[in-house]
Amino acid sequence: MLSMLIGLPILSAVIIGLLSDKITAAQIRQIALVIVSFLGLWTIWLFSQFNPAASGMQFAEFIPWLPIVGLDYSLGVDGLSLPLLGLNALLIWIAVYSTDYSGERPRLYYSLILLTSAGMAGAFIAQNLLLFFLFYELLLIPLYLLIAIWGSSEKQGYASMKFLIYTAVSGILIFVAFLSIALLSSSGSFAYNPQATQGLSQTTQLILLTVVLIGFGIKIPLIPLHTWLPDAYVAASPPIAILLGGVLAKLGTYGLVRFGLGLFPETWTIVAPGLAIIGAITAIYGALAAIAQKDIKRMVAYSSIGHMGYILLGAAAATPLSLLGVVLQMVSHGIILAFLFHLIGVIEAKVGTRDLDVLNGLMNPIRGLPLMSSLLVIGGMASAGIPGLVGFVSEFLILQGSFAAFPIPTLVCITCSGLTAVYFVTLLNRTCFGKLDNATAYYPKVQWPERTPALILAALTLFLGIQPTWLTRWTEPTTDVMATTISDVHKATHISTSSR
Amino acid sequence: MLTQSIMQTVWWIPLYGLIGGVAALPWFPGVIHRTGPRPAGYINLLMTTLAFVHSLVIFQATWNQPSQQLSLTWLKVANLDLSFPIEISSVTLGAAVLITGLNLLAQVYALGYMEMDWGWARFYGLMGIFEAGLCALVLCNSLFFSYFILEILTLGTYLLVGFWFNQPLVVTGARDAFLTKRVGDLLLMMGVVALWPITGTFNFAELAQWAATANIDPTTATLLGLALMAGPLGKCAQFPLHLWLDEAMEGPIPSTILRNSLVVAVGAWVLVELYPILSLSPVTLTTLVVIGGITAVGGSLVAIAQIDIKRTLSYLVSAYMGLVFIAVGTGQLEAALLLVLTHAVSMALLVMSAGAIIWNSVTQDLSQYGGLWSRRPASGLAFLVGIGGLIALPPLGSFWAILKLADGLWETQPWLVGLVLLVNGLAAFGLGRVFGLVFSGPLKPMTERSPEVSWQMVLPMMLLLGFALHLPLVLQYLSLLPAWEDINIPLAVLLTVSSAMSYIGWRFRPIQLPWPTIQDVLANDFYTAQAYRLSIVAGVSFISRITAFVDHYIVDGAVNLVSQISVVGGEVLKYTTSGRIQLYMLTVLFGVVFMGAMMMMTTH
Repeated sequence: MLSMLIGLPILSAVIIGLLSDKITAAQIRQIALVIVSFLGLWTIWLFSQFNPAASGMQFAEFIPWLPIVGLDYSLGVDGLSLPLLGLNALLIWIAVYSTDYSGERPRLYYSLILLTSAGMAGAFIAQNLLLFFLFYELLLIPLYLLIAIWGSSEKQGYASMKFLIYTAVSGILIFVAFLSIALLSSSGSFAYNPQATQGLSQTTQLILLTVVLIGFGIKIPLIPLHTWLPDAYVAASPPIAILLGGVLAKLGTYGLVRFGLGLFPETWTIVAPGLAIIGAITAIYGALAAIAQKDIKRMVAYSSIGHMGYILLGAAAATPLSLLGVVLQMVSHGIILAFLFHLIGVIEAKVGTRDLDVLNGLMNPIRGLPLMSSLLVIGGMASAGIPGLVGFVSEFLILQGSFAAFPIPTLVCITCSGLTAVYFVTLLNRTCFGKLDNATAYYPKVQWPERTPALILAALTLFLGIQPTWLTRWTEPTTDVMATTISDVHKATHISTSSR
Repeated sequence: MLTQSIMQTVWWIPLYGLIGGVAALPWFPGVIHRTGPRPAGYINLLMTTLAFVHSLVIFQATWNQPSQQLSLTWLKVANLDLSFPIEISSVTLGAAVLITGLNLLAQVYALGYMEMDWGWARFYGLMGIFEAGLCALVLCNSLFFSYFILEILTLGTYLLVGFWFNQPLVVTGARDAFLTKRVGDLLLMMGVVALWPITGTFNFAELAQWAATANIDPTTATLLGLALMAGPLGKCAQFPLHLWLDEAMEGPIPSTILRNSLVVAVGAWVLVELYPILSLSPVTLTTLVVIGGITAVGGSLVAIAQIDIKRTLSYLVSAYMGLVFIAVGTGQLEAALLLVLTHAVSMALLVMSAGAIIWNSVTQDLSQYGGLWSRRPASGLAFLVGIGGLIALPPLGSFWAILKLADGLWETQPWLVGLVLLVNGLAAFGLGRVFGLVFSGPLKPMTERSPEVSWQMVLPMMLLLGFALHLPLVLQYLSLLPAWEDINIPLAVLLTVSSAMSYIGWRFRPIQLPWPTIQDVLANDFYTAQAYRLSIVAGVSFISRITAFVDHYIVDGAVNLVSQISVVGGEVLKYTTSGRIQLYMLTVLFGVVFMGAMMMMTTH
């Protein structure tokens, strides 16, 4: 069942790549749309079959592949991966749907997007360290090409190369860590097995965990490993930026929770205070840097860095509440970021600029972009954490869950929430409010293909904000078990040290 | 049994406004063209009427009944139970009646005031959402949801103040309203987040029980109290977060009716609910009194120096909320709620009257008004009754509220009684001045042709005027008035005398105060806006620029430096690939010698 999410997109990527020249770009888009719609339905079906009450892996698939090196084709889904699978399916659909009909090199473009989809889905469901690494690295190539070829800025070569190098380094670090785990631990295989690392000495664990953290820290990204992100997001065209920010960055946080916290529960409590501080610094740095930006896409990119700080804080605290908030934040941040990047893409396409000093008065009902501006208000406010919208629930759970463990970093993060409001209000005031410039305000009309994704994402932002239970029910048992493991380990070490 | 089932429908009340708000969406620009935006307004009027009738029916049912609880589960995860507890009592339902009633009047008023506006759907939609939020806030019995709704109201204020968004002053006003309130909200959130690990509940009733027996470290209690206080502080426009209310005057008047009377009042409402926790720390209570005192005196002074009719009213709102803060700080919760009620009614009346005056006179400048009494009898009467209801003029509403407040302070803190008298006197003077400038004296060019407004605005004004006049009777019916023999006669006389300051205000009606320095300081609100611009705004902007600089030139610069070095290194090293065997051999030789030396060193 899960293999469909990997196999179908890879297969169709190959087929689309081999299609004849006579088929137009619009038709190829239709084909790709059918495929990603089918993948979406398949994911919905998975949700319906998933048993939310269970905490372990479901729909597990296992085929020995290369037993000599310990590589198995082992898949499974739990409450941590399932929401991210859903996010992946949604954002891939939106990326395909919102792509311009008349793009260049359509066969390559849609093949690469489908490959990306396969890579992300594979990474989220792989239950073998080496398999995860394969998918993680597989993602590098299509995304590099997507930024480099279809990028929308003059710096796209620089940005895509920077992205490539950073992500490759991240991959190498993760590979080193995984290799050491497989070699040093008793099992000698790459199977995902939290018990395997228990036998290692604490120093070894600490070193391995640090390597894993830096590896995924590049992907998340954490300060000061973040500089690839604004460049890459700004250089990418809107659909690709949606994929980069919405799903790809989630691989970092997913890896942090799955392979950092999941594999090294004993050592986690040692690094947690440091992580919480880095989280708070990331949050405040991202927010402050965003305030000073003049380009709205760059501003949103920095806001994305800031929001990752909350995830790190929640993961560090590792209480049932904060971990649930972390998973929720991954999903809600994915939705909101995709929403904002899509709207900014539409605005740039119509107005021709992303410069805060030039944009003005788009809320104007006749000559402006009233619908897009209204939706931008919703998106911006969701990102700023206004209750009733999806961003609030996850942020609140993280903050509430982390406060008891790390009060000061939590309070810093709440302050950042205020700074978030500062730059979003600046963005909205400059972009949507104000007086429309008479001379330039003859914007092309917004078409339905541009409206639909925005409306879908707005509806999700509102609905999940009002009904967060629809998000929490899948994840709660899984994060509960994770948090219990951490606290058990914590207690055990406490007892052993005190009895000594 | 019937009353029981009626009371169970209480959660519908906020839904009406929400439905109205959502139903207005199709009339946003570009969706339905044929009908114009008006149906959105009519739908919202209908919904508000339904909400008003419904809350009135339940209010009847709750009369003389013990309060009941109703709980709706919102989110229950891990150890956190976020259910929405509803308190069904005559107090909460009374507040709901007041909210829906005033919103109904404000919406009818808007039919006239916003007649030519293209943004009907947006306006009425937001008014509906505001009503929903306010009703939900008074009905809910949970700190978490109070915070939740306060934040939504902050967003609502931003959008309503920014309603006429193509004017620059409106845009900055909306921004400041949002950010100032957000500061308060986030401090409140810190309090909320910090409270949970200690108490394990967000329910106000349970929090009060907890506070009754709590044994909590004084520093924690103070920090907690100060954080929790900050939310209402921002909402009630108290010093130092008071600036937004004045700038919010750039929004449309019908929304100002709601904002100046009710939105600020819900801040006070939350403060009253929080009192058991705040009272754990004497420092917090003292802070409440100090902040309330500063705002009350400062606000009523600043109001006197204003030249814009809307601004004279906005600063008084802060001042009266300051009195409410004093009431809560000294533990007089009933007086606080009573003052909130009487203030809401009178202030709404004053704002309606001011709006009606502005509507046909085209100016907001007090110095350009004059002699309107002959032209605008309805507005004039409404303004007069509004003044009477707001200051402690017997037998109208606020007299009883302020009497109750001052009576409670009479024995314990007499200096605060003096402060209350001073504030009342200043407010009376200021309002008398405004009345005199607008309605007395000779006609001026701007008032020469200023007929009374149309029925859509006069009707709600007259209805509210009637209610304001009957408010003492209502209070008596609710047995909120003291018995004759309990009235503190000297105090009542003092209050009445201080209210007579309004006569002096009317008699002299200074456009400018005689002392230019004081006039400037007060007219500029003690230069608070400038102080903010120089301190916090400049600070945040400076730090964010530094961060962006560091990000661009140092963090990213280091990355680019590494890449440059590797490129340059490659450029340099490529010349070593010359193909000359001798050079390669030499390199190998050096390498072997070097490694040999290393091994010798380590073995010895």
